[in-house]
This record gives sequence, C-alpha cells and structure tokens, in this order.
Amino acid sequence: MRPGGLRRNRPVWVASQGVTLGRVRVSSLPLFHSLLHRVSSQPCAGPRLSCEASRLQRARFGLRGPRFRKLKIGAGHRLDVKASGVFVLGIGHGNKLLTDLYNCHLTKVYTVGGLFGKATDDFSDTGNLIEKTTFDHITREKLERILAVIQGTNQKALLMYSNIDMKTQEAYELAVKGLIRPMGKSPPIITAIRCLQFALPEFQLEIHCLHETQQYLRKVVHEIGLELKSSAVCTQVRRTRDGVFTVDDALPRTQWNLQSIQEAIRNCQLKVQTELEKTLAAHEENSPLHQLDGTQLSMLCRSLREQHNTAEVCQRGDGQQKERG
Amino acid sequence: RIKGQQLPPRKRLLAPSRGQRGLSAETGLPLTRSFGYCPSQPRHRCASQGCLYLGCFVKPDSGWKKPRRIQPTPYRLETEDKISSAACGYGFTLLASNTRDITKVWGMGLNKDSQLGFQRSRRDQTKAYEYVLEPSPIPLPLEKPQQTRVLQVSCGRAHSLVLTDSEGVFTMGNNSYGQCGRKVVEDEIYSGSHLIHQLKEFDSRVVQVVCGQDHSLFRTKKGSVYACGWGADGQTGLGHYDITSVPTKLQGDIAGVNIIQVSSYGDCCLAVSDEGDVFGWGNSEYLQLASVTETTQVNVPRHLPFKIGKVKEAACGGTGNIVLTEEGNVFVWGYGILGKGPNLTETAEPEMIPPSLFGCSDFSPDTRVAHVRCGLSQFAALTNRGELFVWGKNLRGCLGTGRMEDQYFPWRVTVPGEVVDVACGVDHMVSMVRSFT
Repeated sequence: MRPGGLRRNRPVWVASQGVTLGRVRVSSLPLFHSLLHRVSSQPCAGPRLSCEASRLQRARFGLRGPRFRKLKIGAGHRLDVKASGVFVLGIGHGNKLLTDLYNCHLTKVYTVGGLFGKATDDFSDTGNLIEKTTFDHITREKLERILAVIQGTNQKALLMYSNIDMKTQEAYELAVKGLIRPMGKSPPIITAIRCLQFALPEFQLEIHCLHETQQYLRKVVHEIGLELKSSAVCTQVRRTRDGVFTVDDALPRTQWNLQSIQEAIRNCQLKVQTELEKTLAAHEENSPLHQLDGTQLSMLCRSLREQHNTAEVCQRGDGQQKERG
Repeated sequence: RIKGQQLPPRKRLLAPSRGQRGLSAETGLPLTRSFGYCPSQPRHRCASQGCLYLGCFVKPDSGWKKPRRIQPTPYRLETEDKISSAACGYGFTLLASNTRDITKVWGMGLNKDSQLGFQRSRRDQTKAYEYVLEPSPIPLPLEKPQQTRVLQVSCGRAHSLVLTDSEGVFTMGNNSYGQCGRKVVEDEIYSGSHLIHQLKEFDSRVVQVVCGQDHSLFRTKKGSVYACGWGADGQTGLGHYDITSVPTKLQGDIAGVNIIQVSSYGDCCLAVSDEGDVFGWGNSEYLQLASVTETTQVNVPRHLPFKIGKVKEAACGGTGNIVLTEEGNVFVWGYGILGKGPNLTETAEPEMIPPSLFGCSDFSPDTRVAHVRCGLSQFAALTNRGELFVWGKNLRGCLGTGRMEDQYFPWRVTVPGEVVDVACGVDHMVSMVRSFT
C-alpha cells in the first residue's frame, strides 16, 4: 500500500493569471481567484509597509494593477474524489508549517460507513457488483471482536515502524503519552478502530489512522465483511479530524470568503504551534533539532509563532455531495 | 472469496431459497450463505505461549508442523471441553473444566514428581511417563465422579492442588516439605506414584487454593487462611520457620479478618480482605514487605499500610508484587522489571502504572484493568475489553509478544479472541479466550 500524504514538487500550473496552485484540486479555482482579488483590493493587506506609504510608493513608480500577483496555496493530506471531510490548506508561509505538520505524523480520524451483503470491484457502493451474500448471522459483538483483532495486528506494525528501542526509559515515557508513532514512511497503520452505529445491514466505524489512503479504508471495510463470513462495501468515507484540525474548525462552503478564512487562521494558530512544539520536542533525538541547544530551540519555536499565516481549513461537501474534479 | 466472474442478470425464476445457493431477488446474482456458524454458544479456546519444550505440549496438533522449543506468540491448544481454570507450574500445566464428565482435569509437562498424577505408560503398564507432551487426563479418586465439579487448579514447583465443590481439595506431587498436606515420608519416591491425597478438615468449605513454590495456601468460605509446606522464609505465616505437613490456620494480623483473596507464587504471600486491606508474609528479600519491616523473612501475616485506595485483587510473583484497586488502578512494588521502564528496578512503596498504557485514552475512557496476574518474573493484566497486557522478563518467549526481549512496560498481546483469564508460570503462560464467531 502506498502511504498517503503530500505529493511534493508537483505544482499544478493553471492557465489563469496569478494563482499558483501547488497540489490543489482544480475545482477550488473560483475560491482562489476571489481570494486573490480580495487580497489585492484590501487596504492594509501588507504587513511591512503601512497602507498609505505603500500606496504612495506604488503611485511614485507608476505601478498599476493588483497588488498581489501570486498567492501560494498548498494542500495537506490527500482526500480523494469519493470522500469528504476536513481538508487542510496553507497560504503563503503556511506552506512551510504544512510540511512541519506532515513531519509530525499526527493521526487522522475518519467516519467510515459500510453496508453488509454486497461486494463490488472497487470496494465502494458505486462499483460493479460482484457478489451478494447473506448477513443475518452478523451481530455487533462479532463485529467488535473483529475490530479488536485489527487493532492488535496494527499495533505490532506501529511498533515496528516507530524505530524505538523498547528497552529504554524514553520508550516508556513516549508510550505513556501515547506518542509512539512511526516518524518516517510506513504502510497504513490503524491506531484505533471502533463501531459507532450498527443497524443491519448498515454500520458505521470510527477509524484513527496514519499514512492511509481512503481506498485503503474501503479495503478494510471489505476485509471486515470477509472476516465475518459475508461481504461489505463502503458507502461513506468522511475525515473528521486531520491532526489538530477538527470539523469544528473547518469552514463549510458557505463560508469560503476572506473574513472567515482569516478568522479560522487566527483561531488555529495556537493549536498548530503547541502541537509542533510538543511533537518536535518529544522526538528531538531523531530530528536535526537534536543538534540545537536550549536557546536555539526556543528561538526556532518563537519564529514558528511569528508566522502570520498558518494553515487554513476548508471543508468539502459534507458527505451528501460527491465531488467531481 | 470474491468471484472474478459476473453472471448476466436473469429473470426471477426461483424464489430466494435458504439453501446453499439461491438467486438473490434483486439482481439475479447468486446469493452465498456461509456455513458452519453456530449462533448459540461462543466457543472457548485455550492459547499458550512460552517454552514448549517442557511446560506445554511439544507435538503440535497438525502433524506436519515441526516440534518447536519455543513459542513466542499465543498458540491454540485443542481440548474437547471448555476449560474453566488453568494453572502454570514450574515446567508443567494443569487445565480443568467444570464439567460433570469423568475427565475433569488435564495436565502436561514435567511429571517427575507425579505432579500430574500417574500417567500410565503405553509401553510398560507399571511405569509412568516422566514427561507428558499432550494435555492428558488426570484421574482423580472422586467418590461421585459424575456429580462433583472441579472449581479451580493450582500448581507450584513440583506439586499441584485441585479444588472440588463437594469433595475438598486433592493434592499430588512432591511432598518433601509437607506441601501436599500429608505427613512427610522419609525417602519417599515421588516419581510414578499413585498417591493423591484428599484434604477435607477445614472450618468451612475451601473456595480458593494457591500454590507457592513449596507451600500451599487454602482460603475458606469464612475468610480464614490455612497453610502447609516449607516455611524457611516464613511463607506459611504460622509464626515459625519449620515445615508444616498439616494445613494449619493462620493468625497474626489476619485473625478474624474476612479474607477474600490470597495469592502466592514464589516465597512471598499476599492476602486481600473484604475491606480492601492488604496483608503480607513470607520472603521480603526483595522489599516486598519492606514498608512494614526491615527483616527479610516475615513469618506472621502483617498488614501493609498502603494509601492507594481500596484493593480489589493482589498477585504475588517471585520478586515483585502487583495490586489492583477498586478504581481500576494498578500498583507494583518489589524488585525486577516492574513495568515503569528500565529505570525503576526496585521500590518498597507501591507505584502506579499510568492507565494510558492499558489502552485508556480520551478515545476510550471506560477501559479499565479488570484482573491482574503474576508469574515468577512476569506480570499480566486483563482489561474489561478482553485485552491482555504483559510485561516482565521474557523467558523463552513466555510473554507472547512475538519478540524475545524483555518488556519494560505493559504491552498488548494479540490474541484472536476476548481473553477471559490468564495463568502465568515461570517460562510459559496459558490464557483462556472466548472466540469471536
């Protein structure tokens, strides 16, 4: 399984002026156009020069046109077309923070809906039907036991890819805080899975995972169906949490305007900083931060705090709509 | 199981049948029904891990697999009956079922002192096996074999105890120190012995039997504790350091106290009263009782004044002790790998193990430890979600984690099912597991 995550160094050049979209879906274009327009027309958008001074300077040099020509927007962890939920984006300096957040390897939480009795070729309910099975023998208890097995096998993988020596006191400290996680590339790992709703033939699971893709989650639903001697397809994959960003921080489509975006950025700033500090500090022996001493480390943390534009959050259509690129 | 082909949709000719193959009403594709599921009883299994050479069976049940010396992950043991109680001794195991059938107890492993009873050899009818490689039935001299039930079994270094509901306690094995509750016979040969002793004279019905290394403890319904066997470390708690061959009631701080649980495995013993107090006696070389006394042998039960809350369950190992409180917190003390990382090797006062290590988090805040068990140098904890956590010295893979290194903090063992109970030995462990489907 290919691990999910950022696909780097592949900027998508769009045939419209001014908006450089790195790794973003094309359907968000109208949003970014309007953003660029708004940002250019806003009176005090630039942090360095005051509005008056900047306007005078531009008049002096005969500059005309929008103040901002380029707006760098980066996307966080991938969300495929049939899925929905929290999707993290970064603007400007936020792109660097996105990279740092990616290196923290925080877990993502999904709500996955499934349906017993069918099996399709792409594991979702819109694929070609291959088999139908009975499911009246399935009970919630049986499902929960299968979930326990899945959690157990994934725990072993977690340990293996975390590269932590289990015999050290640091391993104990990390385990108490729940910070034993793979800090590099690894196959998809499910750290926790539980059943939220169960009403035959439908069921709903909450899955906490790392380095996953949504297709992997659909495959997990299919395999649960097989283990229960039946079959299952996945009807819904919705990301409810991506690291520190939850559904509550996310902006629905009606709020995709500049003011809400700015407010969302401000609200999330503190959370992002604390998470970065916590994870980078805990794993400092594995990262280049290890070479820094105390004062340098605090300076780095302070510079992270001074970034104005941290990651921004947008929410894709909330489960009912299916996005088409 | 997914069929690669796709049948063209057919008209509805047959109603969907309950047999193996019918046509599904909507799409006309074949409808598959699974076989072999039993909706009534959940099947119970036994799984063992650790040193297979002596402690458990060596010959795997499917003949083509090579016999293994060490089993680092749980391996299933096939038995006909549902096993309700298991105990691991020093190189042997006892499994018991509370059935009314003739065969109630099975044993395997070392039998050099007839701790598994007389296992008649097939080659020579007069001799007995010294090693039993498969779970073999142990014949008990019951008066009413089709009515009596076996409640619990316990194993020590070279002796075993079987508790029944109406016929008292049966003891077998080595009796050099009187641990079987009968008079010590000079130069007795224990190998190939048919002798199984029955103990009935207690003040009330015996409800729990516990084997220490070379001594035995009996807890009765009235809450009193009896002991017999070796006492050089004071583990009999009778006020002296000699051997005792007749079960005698313990006094000291537990006189008059209603004891609800006793535990022992090495030379130290712990008892829990109904009010949540902990009492200890026996060996204290590893600081097990250092909170009340400096002496290394305590031969009278002493109350351990810990301020950790009401204690529900206690378990005693060779060098470390563990208790579980009513709130679900786990405390350890003693010497060795205690479960708080490699830095904590000895402590006289109980230290709590953080509940987050047992799976309690904001995601599942109701997860609690339900039972604690102790082997000679390992600990095991069972949570209310049926998960098994182990830590301690990993002798010959007995922890079941799949690795051969020692485990310094609680780690979950992947068991295919919900763990109901676990028994820890010196270098192997047996768990009773309820299966999924």
